[in-house]
Amino acid sequence: MYLREKKTDGSSLPIENHLISTDLFFRRKGERMFLKSKPLWGKRPRLKSSYDAVIIGGGLHGLATAYYLAKEHGITDVAIIEKRYIGFGGAGRNTAIVRANQRTQYNVPLYKEALDLWPVLTKELNFNLMFNNCGNLNLMHSEAAMKAARMTIATAQFHGVESHLIDAKEAKELVPALNISEDITFPIHGAMFHPPGGIVRHDAVVWGLAKGAARLGVHIHQQTEATAIHTEGGKITGVTTSRGRIHTPRVLVAAGGYSAGIINQMLGIKLPISVLTIQAMVTQPLKPILNHVVSSGAYHCYANQTLKGEIATGAHMDPWPNYTTQNTAHYIKHQAEALSDWLPCLRGVKFMRIWGGLADMTPDMAPIMDGNDPIEGFYMDCGWGYFGFKSCSATGKYMAQFMASGNCPDMLKPFNLRRYENHQLMGETAALVNYTPDN
Amino acid sequence: MALTLTCPICGKRNGYEFRYGGEDKGPRPAEEGLTPRDWCDYAHMNKCVAGVQKEWWFHRDGCGSWFTTYRDTVRNLEVDAPEANK
Repeated sequence: MYLREKKTDGSSLPIENHLISTDLFFRRKGERMFLKSKPLWGKRPRLKSSYDAVIIGGGLHGLATAYYLAKEHGITDVAIIEKRYIGFGGAGRNTAIVRANQRTQYNVPLYKEALDLWPVLTKELNFNLMFNNCGNLNLMHSEAAMKAARMTIATAQFHGVESHLIDAKEAKELVPALNISEDITFPIHGAMFHPPGGIVRHDAVVWGLAKGAARLGVHIHQQTEATAIHTEGGKITGVTTSRGRIHTPRVLVAAGGYSAGIINQMLGIKLPISVLTIQAMVTQPLKPILNHVVSSGAYHCYANQTLKGEIATGAHMDPWPNYTTQNTAHYIKHQAEALSDWLPCLRGVKFMRIWGGLADMTPDMAPIMDGNDPIEGFYMDCGWGYFGFKSCSATGKYMAQFMASGNCPDMLKPFNLRRYENHQLMGETAALVNYTPDN
Repeated sequence: MALTLTCPICGKRNGYEFRYGGEDKGPRPAEEGLTPRDWCDYAHMNKCVAGVQKEWWFHRDGCGSWFTTYRDTVRNLEVDAPEANK
């Protein structure tokens, strides 16, 4: 198979990457079995002894921030330090759902911008991110839930995000496979319908942003572990990595679920975070039956059909901190029971693949984005829980603006770390379940 | 991820019977002269250790005991107290 990427002038260019063309494969078979060809983001760069900015974590937030630093602010002397490989963590483990129907006035505009950026980035990066705005259907199973949905919808509409309430019959029209009968554990009363949301191919975002950032001069150092962050007189001076010391005035920690541990271990700053494992799985591929993302708070389960036909589903977190990415039989059973209750046509379908990722949960279910406090030149972007994927594009844009100017953009101001000691927690917890010791 | 915890009364039980109660942060700070920052530190802030930590658990679906134990967060296994804490 020979994959070709369309260039703007109409000609095409072979993608020398993950899916290696057969002739390339055979030509190079003698040298090494696979992945001999140059990745989209260039060959392994030399680790320089100094950079204008260092980003710890080669996930979507780090890659997006690096991309925007280079593209919007001309700061191209940037190193991304990734212990494993880009997209190892949440970037490759999320279930690819995007939406902008969150609860609070602070969150909704950020997620709205992230949603609006997918088509823009697809063009800019010249890389198909496979944005499928199929819409999200959030099932409600009680009158109390319908009331909460009305409030969330009012917030969305106030901020110009399309979202409305539909009844069970209308939900059935949108998703014919839905069981709206009364004889299930949690009968469906209605749903919150959010048409602009949907699915984005998460790996494509990793590769697209890496390619875009690398073309602008960003160095992506995989298999490189940050082991210390250095400060002097309250200012950032450098980072020690497994491949050598780097001098830099700016460090961003955007290491997803690992951020809180890294920040505490290297800088002694504690964060209001609990790191939990979140589980997901896909069924065997099926013919198209589900053309929306459907989720249910009461069943604690969501599902969507991927372009390959698998039903991707997930949501459970064992409510105690741990750094494993393991699944549990406990949850696989729950998932099968829940799914076959409201999508009875899935009875007998087999799960094909299961996995887990880390979610760094905060007490108010909102992220922490802060900088220059208490250390000048130190920035953090963490506490996203399981919302890190859907926010990465907009966050990268604003964190880049923050790091380039040193001033926090208005969009990010409410997400500062001090809100916890100032008793200004956000009300994003409307749908919080039994996740952390904080509730 | 089969977690087993040792309740001081009931012995080794399935982890799902218990409710995690947070990292052990020592005694609750005194009310007098307590600053918002110190309270926040006690109420919200965590070390998120990747390794062995001392933590609180509640035997919710059992005898109702609150107790502390040590667990390795990387392996998700209850472990013996480190030498320094014995």
